[in-house]
Amino acid sequence: MIAKIAVVLISMVVAYLVGQWRRFSVELSLFLAAFLGAGCGAIFSTPPWQEILRHLVEGSFTYLDVILVFSTATIFMAVLRESGGIDYVVQATMNSLGKIRPLALFILMVIVLIPGALTGAGSVSLLVVGAPVAAALHHLGLSRPRIAAILFILAGLSAAAPPVNIWAMILCAGTAIPYVGFELPLGLPVIFLGTLTIFSLGWRPEKIAEAKENWEKMDIPKGMSWWRIALPFMVLFGLILAYRLWPFNLPVLGLPLQFFLGSITAWLTSPKKLNFFLISRETMVRILPLVSTMVVIGMLQQVMTATGVRGLISYAVISIPLVLLFISLAVIIPISEGVLTYGAAAILGIPLIWYLDSLGYHATVAISGLSLLWPLGDGLPPTALIGRLSVMVSNYEGSYWSFLRKTWFPWIIITLAGILMVIFSAKLSFLVRWSTG
Amino acid sequence: MAKFIMITYYLLTAFIATLFFWNFWQEKKKIDRQILYLLVLIPLLLRLLRIK
Amino acid sequence: MRTKIILLICLVFILIWPAIQLYQHRHFQIPIVAGPGVTRVTKLSHYLPALKGTMADTWIFWLEGQESGGKALILGNSHANEPEGMLAALVVIENGLVERGTLLVIPQFNHSASRATRPGDGYPLYFNIDTKWGKKKFRMGNREASPLDQWPDPDVYLHYPDKQLLSFLDARNVNRTWPGRPKGLLMEQVTYAAMELIRQEKVDLVIDIHGAETMFPVTNCIVAPEKSAKLATMVSLTVKATEKFDNHVEPSPPKFRGLSHREIGDYSDAMPFLLEAPIPFLDQPTGPKTEKFLLDGKDPFLLRLSRKNKLFVPYDETGWPIDKRVGQHLSVTLEILRQYSRRTPERSIIIHNVPRYAEVVEKGVGYYFQDPSQVRRDRIYLN
Ligand SMILES: [Zn+2]
Repeated sequence: MIAKIAVVLISMVVAYLVGQWRRFSVELSLFLAAFLGAGCGAIFSTPPWQEILRHLVEGSFTYLDVILVFSTATIFMAVLRESGGIDYVVQATMNSLGKIRPLALFILMVIVLIPGALTGAGSVSLLVVGAPVAAALHHLGLSRPRIAAILFILAGLSAAAPPVNIWAMILCAGTAIPYVGFELPLGLPVIFLGTLTIFSLGWRPEKIAEAKENWEKMDIPKGMSWWRIALPFMVLFGLILAYRLWPFNLPVLGLPLQFFLGSITAWLTSPKKLNFFLISRETMVRILPLVSTMVVIGMLQQVMTATGVRGLISYAVISIPLVLLFISLAVIIPISEGVLTYGAAAILGIPLIWYLDSLGYHATVAISGLSLLWPLGDGLPPTALIGRLSVMVSNYEGSYWSFLRKTWFPWIIITLAGILMVIFSAKLSFLVRWSTG
Repeated sequence: MAKFIMITYYLLTAFIATLFFWNFWQEKKKIDRQILYLLVLIPLLLRLLRIK
Repeated sequence: MRTKIILLICLVFILIWPAIQLYQHRHFQIPIVAGPGVTRVTKLSHYLPALKGTMADTWIFWLEGQESGGKALILGNSHANEPEGMLAALVVIENGLVERGTLLVIPQFNHSASRATRPGDGYPLYFNIDTKWGKKKFRMGNREASPLDQWPDPDVYLHYPDKQLLSFLDARNVNRTWPGRPKGLLMEQVTYAAMELIRQEKVDLVIDIHGAETMFPVTNCIVAPEKSAKLATMVSLTVKATEKFDNHVEPSPPKFRGLSHREIGDYSDAMPFLLEAPIPFLDQPTGPKTEKFLLDGKDPFLLRLSRKNKLFVPYDETGWPIDKRVGQHLSVTLEILRQYSRRTPERSIIIHNVPRYAEVVEKGVGYYFQDPSQVRRDRIYLN
C-alpha cells in the first residue's frame, strides 16, 4: 500500500512540474496536480473513479469562508482607498508623529498587530491597515521591498498573537487541550519579536528626500475629514468587539458581513461619488490568484487525504528522530504551511503535539512555539498567501524573492525563538500558569 | 434574526459570484485566468444552489 | 467568445455529477426499525419548538418498561463521522427490551452533521454494514453541522455561558455547545433541547457515544466528571475482569467547557458519561480514507507507529474492526446501567436482549439489524 501511495505522490509532483514547465500559473499547476493525483489514485481505487470529481468539488469548499472574508475585506479597503481616506490618514499621522521615529514605528507596529490578533488572520491585518501603514512607512523613507518585508512578518505575528490564534485553536481542538493560558506564551514573544522586526528593518531610512515631497503633494479630495474615515473602521471594529463583549445578546454576523457593512459605510461616507460595483469588480481581478489558490489547495488537500498521500507525509514527519526533528522544524513547518496553509497544522501539528506531549513537553507552550513558525510559511510558494498580500498592499512591483530575502533577520530570530520555546516548553510553563491566574 | 443573516450571506455569495462571473466574461486573452475564475465559481455556485 | 462558452459547458459538465452525488447524500434516508421494545417515538423539537422543521430536529426512541424506574439517555452521532455511536444506538433500538425504567435513544444527535460531508478530508460518502439479508447503507457524516443549516460561523466562538474562546468551527460542533441556550445558534438550540429533555424527564444517566483517534490520549475510555467517576471506575474494572477488554476512566477537565461530560453534569441532576472507542480512520498518518478502512481499522502506517509506541491503544494486524468498537460501547453502556441499578434500586433500569462485546464481535454488528422491507411500515423511521 505504501508503494501505491508513493506512486500517487510522484504523479502529483510530476503534474505540478509539467504545469510549471508549460508556464501555467501556480494555481493551475496545483489544480493539475490535484486532478492527476486523484486520477492516479483511482487506478488503485483510492478514491474510486466515480468519486474523483466529487472529491475535487468537495475539496473546493474547504476554505469557502476564508474566500468570502478575503473578498469582502479587500472590497472594504478598496472603497476606502478610492475615497481618498487612506491618503488622508497617512498625511495626518505623518504630520503629528513623523518626527519621533521610534514612536512612529512602534505605533505602526501595534496598528498592524491588532486586527490580526482579534481575528486570527494576518490577511485581515494587511487588508485593513496594510495600505495606510505601507504608505506611512514609505514616508518614513523605507523602500517598497523592505516595507513588504515588515508587513509580512508583522502580519504573521498578528495572526499568532492572542486572543485568537487559529493554528493553536486547530491544535487544541485536535488534541483535547483547552484553548486557555495562551495569553503570555503567545503575547510576550509576539510583542518582543514584532518590536525587533520593525526596529531592525525600519530604523534606518533609505531615501528621505523623495518621500517627504511625495506626501506633501498627495491629493486629498475636498471634504475629507476624520469622521469620514473613522466611521467605517468604527463600524467594523465595533461589530467585531460588540460580539466579543455581548456574545449572547447579539446575533453572529461573521467576518464577511462585518466587512461588507464596513465597506457600505465607507461608500456612504466618501466625499466623492464612487461606483461600488465597479470598485468591487476591479478588486476581484486583483485577488483572483489568492482566492483561486484557496480553492485549489482545498481540492489538493482532499485528494491527498483520499489517496493517502497526506498520511504518508504526516507519518514521515513523526518518524524523524527527536533531535533531528527539532532542527528540521525550522524547515518543515514553514514549508508545510506554504503548501497546505492551515491544513498543515492538522496534518503535522496534531501528531507532533501528541508525540511531544507523551515525551513530557508542555503542550501549551510547545503549541505557542510552533505557531510562531507557521506564519513564516505564509510567505513561501506555492500559496504564499500573506507574502503576496504584503507585496500587493505595499505596491511593490519587483521580484518576489527580492522581497522575501529582506526578511532574513527577523525570520531567523523568530525561527530560533519558536524552536527554543518548544524545546524548553517545560521550563516555560510558568507563562501558562501566570496567564490563567 | 439568524435566518435573516443567513439569507444575507446567500445574497453576499451571489454578489461575489456575479463579480467573478463578470470578470470571467470580460477576460479577453488569458485562458489561464478564465479557468481560474470558473474554479472559484464552483463552491460559490453549489452553495447558492444549497447543495453543499 | 467561443472558448468561454466551451469552458462554461465544461464547468457545467464537471459540476453536474458531483452535485447530484452531494445532493443525494444530504437527502439519503436511513430506515431505522423500531424494535419490539420501542413504545413511542418523538422528536427533539418537542422540548424546543424552534427546532421544528429544521435539519437539526431528530428522532427520540423511547423504550419504556412495565415497571417505573430510572431513566437513561443514549446519544449517537454527536460527531457524525464517528459512526460506532450511531450503530450502537441502533442495535439498542432494534433489539432492546426494557423491563424496568426507561431508555431514551437519539441515534442521530447532530442530525445536520450526519447529512454533511467533510471538505478537505476525503471521506467516502457512505458505508455499508453486512447483514443476514444484504447490506445496510449508511451516510458518512461530518464532525460539524452543515453550513447549509447554520451559517455563518463567528470569527471566534464564545461558549455559553462561560465565554471560553473556542475555534470558530466548534460553533457547529454539538459536543462544544452544551448546555446550549434556547435563542442561540442552531447547535446551541439542539443541546438546549437535550438539556430540557434531561431536566424535564428527570433523566438519571446520559451516555454520549463517540470514537477517537488511536494517537489521541483520550481514547478507548470512559470520560466522566467527578459525580460519575466512581460508577465509571466500577464499570471499567468490571468489563476488564469479566469481558477482557480495556476501557480506562478519564476525568472530565473542569476548564474544558462545552463538552457533554462536563456541562450535562453541571447543569442537571443527570450523571454524564462519554464513551470513546479507537477509530483509526480519523488518525492523521494513515493510508487512503476508504470505506473498508473505516470499518476494519487496518492501516500500515499505524501498525508501524504502534511498534514505535506512538499510539495510545494496543494495535496489531487485526486493526480495530467496527464490530469490536460497537461491542465495547454496548458492553460499557449495559454495565453503566447495571451498576447504577444496583446502587440505586429505586431508580433502576433493567434491559434485556442487547448483545455484549463477545457476541457482537462473533456475529458482527449487522446481525442485529432487521430487514426494513420485512417490517411493518409504521415501525420504520427515516433518519
Ligand atoms: Zn467525538
